[in-house]
Amino acid sequence: MPQPSGCGSVKDMQTTVVGNYPKIPNRPRPARLRQALNRRDRGEITNEELAGVEDEVTIEVINEQAQAGVDIVSDGQVRWDDDQTYVMRRLQGVEIGGLQRYLDTNTYYRQPEITGAVRWLEPVLVRHWQFAQEHSPQPVKAIVPGPYTLAALSLDKHYGSREKLSLALAEQLRFEIDTLVAAGCRHIQVNDPVIVFNKEDIGIFAAAVRRLLQDVAAETGLYTWFGDASTILEPLLELPVDVIGLDFVAGPHNWTALRGRRFEKKLGFGVVDGRNTRVETPAEIAEAIKRVSDLVPPERLYVNPSCGLEYVPREVAFEKLKTMVEGARRAQGVPA
Amino acid sequence: MSALTTTAVGSYAKPDYLTKARTEFSQGKISREELGKLERRATEFWIRTQERIGLDVLVHGEMERGDMVAYFAGEPGGRTIGGMKLGGLVRAYGNRYYHKPIIFDRLEWPGPMTVEMWRFSQSLTERPVKGMLTGAYTMVEWSFDEHYPSRRDAVLDMAKVIRREVEELVQAGAKYIQIDEPAIHTRPHEDFDLAVEAMRVTVEGIDAEFHTHICYGEVEKIYPDMLRLPVKQIHLAFKNTDFAYLKLMEEHAYDSDKDLGVGVTDVHTRFTESVDEVKEGLRRVLKLLPPERLWILPDCGLKTRTVEESEAKLQVMVDAVREIKRELEIE
Repeated sequence: MPQPSGCGSVKDMQTTVVGNYPKIPNRPRPARLRQALNRRDRGEITNEELAGVEDEVTIEVINEQAQAGVDIVSDGQVRWDDDQTYVMRRLQGVEIGGLQRYLDTNTYYRQPEITGAVRWLEPVLVRHWQFAQEHSPQPVKAIVPGPYTLAALSLDKHYGSREKLSLALAEQLRFEIDTLVAAGCRHIQVNDPVIVFNKEDIGIFAAAVRRLLQDVAAETGLYTWFGDASTILEPLLELPVDVIGLDFVAGPHNWTALRGRRFEKKLGFGVVDGRNTRVETPAEIAEAIKRVSDLVPPERLYVNPSCGLEYVPREVAFEKLKTMVEGARRAQGVPA
Repeated sequence: MSALTTTAVGSYAKPDYLTKARTEFSQGKISREELGKLERRATEFWIRTQERIGLDVLVHGEMERGDMVAYFAGEPGGRTIGGMKLGGLVRAYGNRYYHKPIIFDRLEWPGPMTVEMWRFSQSLTERPVKGMLTGAYTMVEWSFDEHYPSRRDAVLDMAKVIRREVEELVQAGAKYIQIDEPAIHTRPHEDFDLAVEAMRVTVEGIDAEFHTHICYGEVEKIYPDMLRLPVKQIHLAFKNTDFAYLKLMEEHAYDSDKDLGVGVTDVHTRFTESVDEVKEGLRRVLKLLPPERLWILPDCGLKTRTVEESEAKLQVMVDAVREIKRELEIE
C-alpha cells in the first residue's frame, strides 16, 4: 500500500529513486509506448497522440513507484531517450549526432554536438514536472541533467574547453531550475554521474554546480553513479546542495570515504543494484541501512537504487523498489 | 591464400523466408526440424555466394542465430548454455529493446552448440569455413549475472564453457576459429587482464588458428594492450573510422607474431565503396604490414545489410584485393 504523503516522523529516512524507470512492461502487459513510437514513426498516429500515450505511461510508472511504497518518486523520464538529449536538443547551439555507448553499459545515446554558444530558449522540464505532480499521490522530484556530464558526453565544436562548456551549460540550465522552483517544485535533483570517472575535473565540476544551484529555494540533490566518489567527497560536501547521491553497488569505496567524517548533508544511499536482475532481500537492504546509519543519521538518509532502473526489465524494477521499501521499513523497526 | 587473404566477419542477412520461419518457430507453428531445413538452405546460399564472389576463407553466415550472445542464452531455436536464460526486455537506445540474458546458475557446457552447423557448412565447400563463437568476456558483459560473486568468476567459468566448444569444433576439423569480443573495451583499465586471461583459458594449447573480432568502441584505450590476446589474428573496423587505427599502430608497432584483419568496407552504410576507395585503404595498411600478414574483410558482420548490399560490398573488396595483388605482383 502506498504511504500517505508526509507519513512518518522527521526522524525517519525516506525512500526515493534516482531517475529513469523502464518504459515498457513485458508480456502479457502491452508495450504501449513502444508501439506508439513505432506507429508515430510510420505516420499512423500524430505527435499529439503519441504525447497522450506518454502522459498515460507517465501516470502508470508514477503509480507503480507509489505502489511499491516509494516516498519521493520521479516521472520515470518516460519521454527521455537518454539522460543527455532530452534537454540538450532544446537548447540553441546544440545539434544531435550519432550513437555513442553510454559509459560502461551496453546502452547507447545520441551524442549532442555543440556547434555554437549554448542558449536556453524556453522551459523544457517544468510542464512535464507539473503534469507528473498533478497525477502523483507522492511528491515528484524534478530531474535535471548535470552540466558537467552534459559537457563531457557532448562533442564540443565550439568552446574548445570543457570548463567553458560546463559553465555555459550551468548558466543556461539555471533557467530550468528557476522555472521549476517558481512552479512550486520542492525537490530538484541534478544527475551528474560522469565526475566519478573524471575525478581530476572536480574543480570544473564544482564551479558548474555552484553556478547552477547557488541559492535555490528547494531541496537540491546531486547524484552520481557507476563508481565511487571517495577521493572527491570533501569538495562535494562543500557544494551548495542538500543531498549527495552515491552509488554503493559499483562504488564500494564510498563506504570507506564515509567513515571518519561528518556527513553534513543528506545522503542518497544507492544500495539497490540498478544494473542487475538479482533482486535483493529486504534483510540485505535493512542490514546495509543499519550499517550506513552509524555514519549518517537516519533522518538524513534517502534510500534509493544505485542508478536509474531502466537497465533492468520493468517487472524487476518494481520488485526491486518493493524490496527496497520493505528493507527500509525493517531497518526502522516498522512491521512490513 | 598466403597474401591478403579475404574473408568475412560472421553474419549475413537472413532471407525473408527464414525470418518468417523463425517467427513461426517461436510461436510454436513449425518444428525445429523444419526451421533447421530452412537455415541450411540459407546457409548454402551464402556459402555459394561467397565462393562465387571469390572469398578465400568463408563464414557460414549465422543463419541459425538471432543475436551473438542470446543464441547461446535461451533464444528460441538457439543452443542454451546451462545456467543461462533470456530475461525481460531492456532498452538499448531510442525505441530499440532486446531480451538481455541472465546467468542464474553455474555455467555448464550443454553439448555441442555450433558443431553441426559448422560441419554442414564445411561439407558444402572446399574452402575453409571458420568456426564462430562469442568470447567469454562479451558473453558475461552483455548478460545479467545473478549467480557468481564476481565478474571474474563468471568470465572464467564462461571461458571454460567456450573452450569446450572450441575443442569440439577442432575435433570436427575446424582449422580457423573466430572468437568475437566486441565488449572487450567496456572497462579497459579495470578488466583487460581478465579478458586476456579468459581468452587464454579458452584457447591455450588447442591446435587451431584463433582470430578475434573487436569492433567499434574505444579501441585506442586497449591498444597496444590488445596485443596480449593469445590469438593469431585481431580484426578491427578500420573503414568506419577512416583508418584512424593506423596512427595507433604507427605509435606502437603491431605485434610481429600476429596477423591483422583489416575492415575495408563500412557495414553501416547502404552505398558500396568503390574499388578505388578500397584499394586506397589497402595501400595505406600495406605501408605498415606486409601482405602475407594482412587479412581483408568488411568492418563487421553484414546482417544489417540486404543481400544485394552485402554481395556488392564483398565484391568490391575481392576486386580491390585482386587488383592490388596484380599491381604489386604478389601471389
